Amino acid sequence: MQDAHAVTNAVVQHAGEAAVHMTESAGHSITHMMMLLIIQLAVIIIFAKIGGYLFQRFLKMPSVLGELASGMLIGPYALGGVINFPSIGILFSEHAGFAASTELYGIATLASIILLFLAGLETDLASFLRYSVVGSFVGLGGLFAAFILGDLCAVLWPGNGIDSFMDPAALFLGVISVATSVGITARILAEKRKMSSPEGVTILAGAVFDDVFGIISLAIVMGMAKVSMGSGVAWGPICLIALKAIGFFVIVTATGLIFSRKITAMIKRFKSKEIIVAICFGLALLLAGLAEMAGLAMIIGAYIMGLALSRTDLSHEIEHHLEGIYNILVPIFFCVMGMMVDFAAMKPVLIFGSVYSVLAIVSKVVGCGLPAYMMRFNVRGSLRIGLGMLPRGEVALIVAGIGLASGIIDQGIFGVAIMMTVVTTMLAPPLLVKSFEGGSGLRKEMAGVDIDVEVIELEFPSLDIAEFLLSRFIRALQAEEFFVHRLHTDQPTYRVLKDDISFTLIVDDNKLQVSVPTAHHHVARMILLEELLSLTDLLESSRQMKAVDEMGTDLMNGLFA
Amino acid sequence: MNLKKVLSPDTVWVDLKADTKQGIIEEMIDRLLAAGKINDREAVLKAVLEREAKMSTGMQNGVAIPHGKSDAVTGLVAAIGLNKAGVNFDSMDGSPSTIFIMTISPTKRTGPHIQFLAEVSRLISQPAERDKLLAAKTHADIYETLTGK
Repeated sequence: MQDAHAVTNAVVQHAGEAAVHMTESAGHSITHMMMLLIIQLAVIIIFAKIGGYLFQRFLKMPSVLGELASGMLIGPYALGGVINFPSIGILFSEHAGFAASTELYGIATLASIILLFLAGLETDLASFLRYSVVGSFVGLGGLFAAFILGDLCAVLWPGNGIDSFMDPAALFLGVISVATSVGITARILAEKRKMSSPEGVTILAGAVFDDVFGIISLAIVMGMAKVSMGSGVAWGPICLIALKAIGFFVIVTATGLIFSRKITAMIKRFKSKEIIVAICFGLALLLAGLAEMAGLAMIIGAYIMGLALSRTDLSHEIEHHLEGIYNILVPIFFCVMGMMVDFAAMKPVLIFGSVYSVLAIVSKVVGCGLPAYMMRFNVRGSLRIGLGMLPRGEVALIVAGIGLASGIIDQGIFGVAIMMTVVTTMLAPPLLVKSFEGGSGLRKEMAGVDIDVEVIELEFPSLDIAEFLLSRFIRALQAEEFFVHRLHTDQPTYRVLKDDISFTLIVDDNKLQVSVPTAHHHVARMILLEELLSLTDLLESSRQMKAVDEMGTDLMNGLFA
Repeated sequence: MNLKKVLSPDTVWVDLKADTKQGIIEEMIDRLLAAGKINDREAVLKAVLEREAKMSTGMQNGVAIPHGKSDAVTGLVAAIGLNKAGVNFDSMDGSPSTIFIMTISPTKRTGPHIQFLAEVSRLISQPAERDKLLAAKTHADIYETLTGK
């Protein structure tokens, strides 16, 4: 009996082991897949963050380059494809010619949506409209030059199988070299205190145009690529696609801008900021999906949602709340992009990549510099603007990733795109710093850009009092239902927002500075005045306070008994 | 900001009679009481006078903005009155005040209270708007000038 039982047990156990073994060997156990994904994510996050830190700290380069480099190092074409872990196997292996598994690519896609949603949110539409003339010429000049040179480079290069301007791969190489990543430039402008110089203002305005038109051109190219994949160039459908892309962008953005306040007013009924932010993010995901359904890319939808919400007073709240998830997910995206670089596939296209990178530099310097020169800048100023628009970054990588995932570009061309991004991003900072040596960049000493912002300055006897009044002022603004948002700067700086009113508060030593557009200085002045006057109440009540030494005695009494 | 949300046709007056600062404040509060906008005259008066004691709300170019915070109201109460003859309101530029904007806001509730005062002030800081307001003949004229209806 006992023997029979033991035999049954052994059979059951054996069957169980066999079943587990089967699923493992097939590699389809969902638990195993998730375990692998989680370990991959762990490795990616840790390496990406450390790589980003090292690049930033020691090479003074943007952390995105470090994240890319980490990806190249741990990817399937380098260490990740060699090291065999016990009971896991190869950590990063190719999946049907693609460096990332579906699950991992899904997370990277989510990250790219967050990235573009936040990019849209941060877009300063007010300056987009304000500096529209100079910004549009500089932005469009760079856009056309970069697109045409990028595309032509692919067409004219012998032996790469691309022989038509309308070839999807050529179109992609064109559009990849369009999007400027102005973050690096902005950091340098801030460090050199050139942010509000005519060149700085022009670069930032141009970059906004570049962003918006870059996204539109991506939308068009995505559509074109789908049409011209099959047969030759069919202009009818291409024009239709272009119209559809522009139409989608313009109509959805306009609708978003018109209704964003109503929508946010509705969402605000939830009162909880967490819920409000989550719903807005949900809407971004929804529009991303809809954009893909409409034949465009998901990032376009996410960007439009960000753009629509950028004019609402919620924009800073959303940015603030998504910051944590951004800091963790976005490096995963760049690291995954780095992992996709196949060094073997890049070897044959190395020279092509170098030429493409050089053209990417020339196109922006000439394309942005020339319109600047024709407007009011001299050669020096135009060069500064061209160099400021030089670095490509996030969007170029996302577009290249989309091209690779959809099979429009191959591993070699993808590598070329990464190479161009890295080269332009690394070259821009030193060149830009160098170019800002010397005198004015304006053709004649023309008047700087007039900004009708009024600076209200109040000086107090000490920093303590200035900070105290600042905290009272912030509280009063919040009581008036303004959103007050602290910026990540060493000097305490706050952005104050409500509907179309926005102003800045800075505590500088014992001075409180309020920079407010002239149109809205009444409200800032009146709230400040009421808070100043309320200090008299405070002084009055402090006189009625028990003598301080008496309170001190009470506090210390018995401590040393 | 939509001024119509706060102002109503029965809280704009073209014919304030009082000829002293205290008189104007009391007259406006009395009219608010009569219009059913406030219930506790003394509490509101105390709040406005306390604010005046800290610094006169007589501004420039004939504009005065007497206001106060009191728990006697549950939401923003606002009124605008004219006394074309002008009243000495201890104004900053010494000129007699002709346009009076009064607001009473609750102490504990948040809302665009000062912002309302600022919006009206911004509007009448433009000479053309101020002249239009002073040319008002009826209560309704004031309401139309300020709300654009």
